[in-house]
Amino acid sequence: MSPTECEHVLKQIELYLDGELVGSLHVEIERHLGGCHPCSGHADFQRKLKEVLRSKCGCREVPAELLERVRTLLERQPDPTA
Amino acid sequence: MARSQVAPPEDPALRERFEREVLPLLPNLYGAALRMTRNPQDAEDLVQETYLRAYRGFAGFQEGTNLRAWVYRILTNTFINSYRKKQREPVTVPDDDTADWYLYDKLGGSNVEASAESEVLEKIPDEDVQRALEDLPDGFRMAVLLADVEGFSYKEIAEILDVPIGTVMSRLHRGRKALQKALWETVRERGLVTD
Repeated sequence: MSPTECEHVLKQIELYLDGELVGSLHVEIERHLGGCHPCSGHADFQRKLKEVLRSKCGCREVPAELLERVRTLLERQPDPTA
Repeated sequence: MARSQVAPPEDPALRERFEREVLPLLPNLYGAALRMTRNPQDAEDLVQETYLRAYRGFAGFQEGTNLRAWVYRILTNTFINSYRKKQREPVTVPDDDTADWYLYDKLGGSNVEASAESEVLEKIPDEDVQRALEDLPDGFRMAVLLADVEGFSYKEIAEILDVPIGTVMSRLHRGRKALQKALWETVRERGLVTD
């Protein structure tokens, strides 16, 4: 792999991992990652960082009291108007 | 009273739909609210206010548009209008000098086994990752939260935050770099790698 090609791919990794690349560009990055160990190492790490953020900062168990507060709040409201 | 001034009829089917489709978003909304407000009490109040506003505006929600993004937009606007003002605001905006692969490069340069960089990330305690995210300035924190934690597309984030897609991309890029820098500090402080 040429350094220029790797540089190009690494610049696109963020978009690629965010699912924002479509068509031939997506295929091009995917193909490069399949055959380039250093670039796929970068991509794996960035993907892992996203996963870690999702698992450690994401959806929490909702306090029972909050669910109750929301339900009570909605019950007191009239039905939404059509 | 003219007929146009009479309130439209209430619709039990709308209530049912709201409970079926919006109520199940509660765990995610609460998680996002925690990262926005940085404390459980404010997060609960923010979620409650969001549900009230969403419920009252539900009749105006356009069928066929993105319901989840619509609710998150209400959450975000409620946060910005009601909670952000009373909170401390980090003064440091992430600079753009940080290298794109800051954390990866740092970990690769430490005494970690090859390909073990990802394992180090797993070892960082949850609360440290949460704090690193919470310490980002609002605009950057929201972008990273909506993209990486909530899985929204750039287009959806642009709609939720009411900014151009280019701004979303720039905030994500800079926010993630600032986050990597903060995580590296944590990794060192926790002794997860040896220099």
